[in-house]
Amino acid sequence: MGRKVKDTLAKGIIYLATGITLSVLLFIVGFIFVKGIGLVNWKFLTRDYNETVSYVFVQAAEVPMSIDADNLKKENPYDARYESLIDGPIYIKSIGAAIAKVQYRNNYTEKEQFVIAYIEKNSPLLNAKDSTGKNVDIKTDDIIKRINGINLKNLTLQEAAAQIDNESGELKIKVVQPGGGVKSNIITTLYMVLLSLVIAIPLGIFGAIYLTEYAKPGKFVNTIRFAAECLSGIPSIIFGLFGMAFFVVALKFQISLLSGSLTVAIILLPVIIRSTEEALKTVPTSFREGSLALGATKLQTIFKVVLPCAVPGIATAVLLSIGRVVGESAALLLTAGTVAQIPGTFLSPGSTLTVQAYYVAKEEGNIELACAIGIVIIVIVIVLNVLSRFASDKLDVFNKK
Amino acid sequence: MDKKIKFDAKNLDLFYGDFQALKSINLNIYEKEVTAFIGPSGCGKSTFLRCLNRMNDLIESVRINGEILFDGQDINGDIDVINLRTRVGMVFQKPNPFPMSIYENIAYGPKCQGLKDKTKLDTIVQESLTKAALWEEVKNRLNKSALGLSGGQQQRLCIARTIAMQPEVILMDEPTSALDPIATAKIEDLMFKLKKDYTIIIVTHSMQQAGRISDKTAFFLMGEVVEFNETPLIFTNPADKRTEDYITGRFG
Ligand SMILES: Nc1ncnc2c1ncn2[C@@H]1O[C@H](COP(=O)(O)OP(=O)(O)O)[C@@H](O)[C@H]1O
Ligand SMILES: [Mg+2]
Repeated sequence: MGRKVKDTLAKGIIYLATGITLSVLLFIVGFIFVKGIGLVNWKFLTRDYNETVSYVFVQAAEVPMSIDADNLKKENPYDARYESLIDGPIYIKSIGAAIAKVQYRNNYTEKEQFVIAYIEKNSPLLNAKDSTGKNVDIKTDDIIKRINGINLKNLTLQEAAAQIDNESGELKIKVVQPGGGVKSNIITTLYMVLLSLVIAIPLGIFGAIYLTEYAKPGKFVNTIRFAAECLSGIPSIIFGLFGMAFFVVALKFQISLLSGSLTVAIILLPVIIRSTEEALKTVPTSFREGSLALGATKLQTIFKVVLPCAVPGIATAVLLSIGRVVGESAALLLTAGTVAQIPGTFLSPGSTLTVQAYYVAKEEGNIELACAIGIVIIVIVIVLNVLSRFASDKLDVFNKK
Repeated sequence: MDKKIKFDAKNLDLFYGDFQALKSINLNIYEKEVTAFIGPSGCGKSTFLRCLNRMNDLIESVRINGEILFDGQDINGDIDVINLRTRVGMVFQKPNPFPMSIYENIAYGPKCQGLKDKTKLDTIVQESLTKAALWEEVKNRLNKSALGLSGGQQQRLCIARTIAMQPEVILMDEPTSALDPIATAKIEDLMFKLKKDYTIIIVTHSMQQAGRISDKTAFFLMGEVVEFNETPLIFTNPADKRTEDYITGRFG
């Protein structure tokens, strides 16, 4: 009888604990999703964070509209997060495009703006160039500020349209391409993952090979192992400080993609070494003996037999590492910076999604945007996980019977 | 008999740290014969076998005194271990095919020696598998993983893999102890055929097996070779009391 009660009690506690854990998890993910999902759309993913202002040159033409007026009304390129339609759109032949007046709000201001609502297939806007002759990609929802030096600010939609239609020859248009997106952060994140893995994985694997296959067991190996274990326990801000002092300042790599990925690579090394070591240790001695008995050298044995067997374990390490890089904020804040841009070179700064989430939440107080970025992070982590799991299954030599 | 001596062990001692596993072994292994090592487990059969292709190099604590001459050359002296192992192949107790295709398993050894020519490799694969009596069973699945084979097939694959190196000697450490009787019979048949071309040394737990396949038998006990002679003599007329006790099942 007593035992039965104890059993039931224990069971209850187990269920309760599981339930609590699960609901906390669901609550957090749910919270992020509910808060942020309203901001996540295609434009959010494909736009830069900062708006870009540019002057473009366009050859005025006479382009008739190919759709009828009702369909023009149905065009809806406006970003619901920032814009609501006030008037229009009206089609303008000289630029082969329609403009509309919208109420536009960004983080700081609320203004009426003229935005491009529709672009004809043979519109001269599609051949827009900047002053250096480079092509500028004009899209719908871009804001038109000025035409040939005339500010459109205080005009009605009809006046603005007439103004644009009146001009001929080469038009100089001031265009603002709206920001608010995380494209650069997504790309920076992927760069960061790629670069730090490219640095850390070979180093980690060779380190693990040395420790398991070459080093004589003893004090030295134990010291290295202990050091690696300690390293994995140190909070990443410490690595960030080191990275800042060493890579950024001493080696003059500046706050950059390179400094960031080197710092993260150091954070990853212990994890990769440990899991690769474990993976190498589980490869049966009989494979090593079999290979050596066939006259293979030690190096051949390691690279042709032992390492391929260890691939699933190494893949797990890669998986964990990807999670670490995507999730890293403190160290990257100090070494790769908070500039939301696609790093043009290894030495340019760029903020990853996580850093960007921190930045918009802390510096701009924009929790919704931070949550929206959170959703992107969660999705990226899930996708990368699925991908590497798939890859490790494909590469698992024991799977192919 | 004026057969050539392949291996000549002279006063061989082997220590695992402080533990002496082999005590002053003196043994001649003759060419193109099957020599069987029998004895209770832990008596040093595997240890001695692994001396012959320097497999004990892998074990940190091993120390060796005395010498083993292979074709007159001391293998613990200044020789190329890789070369020794290509001449002295080994088949292990548990089948250990690599987790690769059947083809790659056989081609592994030659490839490690630097052979890249595809047609030569193809020939080696087919010849080795044929010699190991496995070709007919696997010729249609050469590119499938070797792990999909049955235990007996895996062991014949390991023999084929060894043959692919064209060794002079094949060492076998209880090659059938993990196999069922039918698979065992196939391997024994195979050894019969192989003995024409190779010197075979086999460790076995089963005295029947030693009796069936070997020409000479060495009886090991506690790190010593108690008796070494023609197999029929060992089994019908052992010189040593301890050998008699063992083969009549009175101990071990
Ligand atoms: N790697 C090793 N380290 C220490 N002792 C070992 C090792 N391998 C075998 N031995 C010992 O050496 C003796 C002989 O072992 P082994 O040659 O495997 O015997 P057998 O093959 O005849 O059963 C045993 O007492 C065993 O415990
Ligand atoms: Mg043994």
